[in-house]
Amino acid sequence: MLPNRSAEVDSTALRAVDSSGSESRSPAIHTVGLRKQFRATVALRGLSMTVERGEVFGFLGPNGAGKTTAVKLLLGLVRRTGGEAMVLGAPAGDLETRRRIGYLPELFRYQGWLTAEEVLLYHCRFLELERARRSGAVREALSIVGLAGRGPDKVATFSKGMQQRLGLGVALLGNPELVVFDEPTSALDPVGRHDVREIIRGLRARGTTVFLNTHLLDEAEQVCDRVAVVDQGQVVATGSLAELLGGRATVRLRVEGLEGMWWRDLPGPGSANPEGAWVVVRDVPSGGVPDLVRHIVERGGCVQAVVPEHESLEERFLEILKEHE
Amino acid sequence: MNGTLTIAALTVREALRRRLVGAFALITVCLVALSAWGFDRLSHSGSLTSGEQRLSEPQALIMFMFMFSFVVALSASAMGSPVIGADAESGVLQTIVARPLRRSEILFGKWLGLATVLAGYAAVVSGLEFGVVRIVSGYAPPDPVLVGVYLFVEGAALLSLALVLSVRLSPIAAGVIGIAVFGCAWLAGVVGSLGTTFHIAGLRDIGSIARYVVPTDGLWHGAIYYLEPRWFITSSVASIGNRAGDPFFASSAPSAGYLVFVVCWFAVVLAIGTFGFERKEL
Repeated sequence: MLPNRSAEVDSTALRAVDSSGSESRSPAIHTVGLRKQFRATVALRGLSMTVERGEVFGFLGPNGAGKTTAVKLLLGLVRRTGGEAMVLGAPAGDLETRRRIGYLPELFRYQGWLTAEEVLLYHCRFLELERARRSGAVREALSIVGLAGRGPDKVATFSKGMQQRLGLGVALLGNPELVVFDEPTSALDPVGRHDVREIIRGLRARGTTVFLNTHLLDEAEQVCDRVAVVDQGQVVATGSLAELLGGRATVRLRVEGLEGMWWRDLPGPGSANPEGAWVVVRDVPSGGVPDLVRHIVERGGCVQAVVPEHESLEERFLEILKEHE
Repeated sequence: MNGTLTIAALTVREALRRRLVGAFALITVCLVALSAWGFDRLSHSGSLTSGEQRLSEPQALIMFMFMFSFVVALSASAMGSPVIGADAESGVLQTIVARPLRRSEILFGKWLGLATVLAGYAAVVSGLEFGVVRIVSGYAPPDPVLVGVYLFVEGAALLSLALVLSVRLSPIAAGVIGIAVFGCAWLAGVVGSLGTTFHIAGLRDIGSIARYVVPTDGLWHGAIYYLEPRWFITSSVASIGNRAGDPFFASSAPSAGYLVFVVCWFAVVLAIGTFGFERKEL
């Protein structure tokens, strides 16, 4: 059983605005049965998920799962075929709500004939930021994404990685409540990836919701509070990393002083098998390791080593996709 | 409205930065130099009588302005055809559309920016050509400002068409269709002129209908009218009858009704473009 499947979603949650007109309690993103069909191709077949305010939400899935289509739907770049989508308490694509959203597209391209400062200034104008705030906002954005000092340079002279950094800067303008990053590190080197993780952590610290569409699972593992795994246009698993990974630890034990096939009597639902000098116990529930050790010691065994091996998100991801097939 | 003006400013800046205006300027200088040489030969070759020279000057200026009209049309089509399609393909458009801007603001802003460039070009090219011709030969058309206006509106019609086509078609396809439409409209005007000359109703109707489908030829005839001195119109009509069949002659200005139709044509074309852009998936 996959943790916290999101197929059943209370449609009343779509009523984001309460009787007092406040949007503050509405989720950052809420979709119910979102569908998108491009002629004969079904890109999304009933995508349902909820992203709470202030969390970093990883949107994971294999190529062609419909991740970018979902992002574009949330931003109003494409139109839905069916279902519902609310972003920051308003229907997806709402004009005024877009003012509160920062977006770095997967295919990031900015006007090569403008300087980095000019690109950011135009986006300040699109956002209708006060004139007095614009130059400060541009400087801050350039500094955050590591392009301080490169503002007067033409975008055409930037490497792909620098253009992606500029795109990150554009997405951060105007202190958005929700930032949507579509593969934000695809062109970045390890330093750049580290910087992006720091940017995301900084956004979380100030209460900004981050929707991170990525296929880099280690990236998601490092920064996301919760993730959704998407396959064939629908969410197949969602939850916190602990929910997705927790309770499924594998433990390697090195025990002396016990004879025979003692591992067959170990407590708990997991399976145990010898591997050389070790016994590998799989599917050990969360907090089950002390019970294992106690059991062995009570029977006169001497525990020489206990090595817990947590399942990586990648392993879990592949497992989830396999289960879904 | 702010969004429209911001997009228009960005579009003008793009035209300036991408040396589009520089390319226009270079072509224009070459063509104006060519026309200066032509008018100099016309005025100082000594092979024409003063009457012939007087009659040939408006005619030559119309021919030269036709050349500029072609450059304006070509430029309008080249500028309008990549506006939406190319930016959508490159990904530049997605970053703008995700901002709190209506798609109609983006489309109209781009149109406004390019139309501003076109208006500037039409004003400069008309002023330069008329100034040079005046210096070389002493001849000046009766309504140079209106000629520039008609030249601009003719180009703006093609710009609008190319821009609307760019919503659905690739830049090359939109550009080629834009130029082909301009050529067909002009040719339909010539066919209509032949129909008028030889009293063939079918051919005449083709010219009339074409002016309503794409008003470039009708607007070009407006420019011709304001290039002609009144005595030229009178004497042309008197000497060789009504030259309504001549594709380089206009005996009357476009009617007020036709001008109203042209305004409506612009509104309909841009509305179609907006409708298509609103529904475009990015």
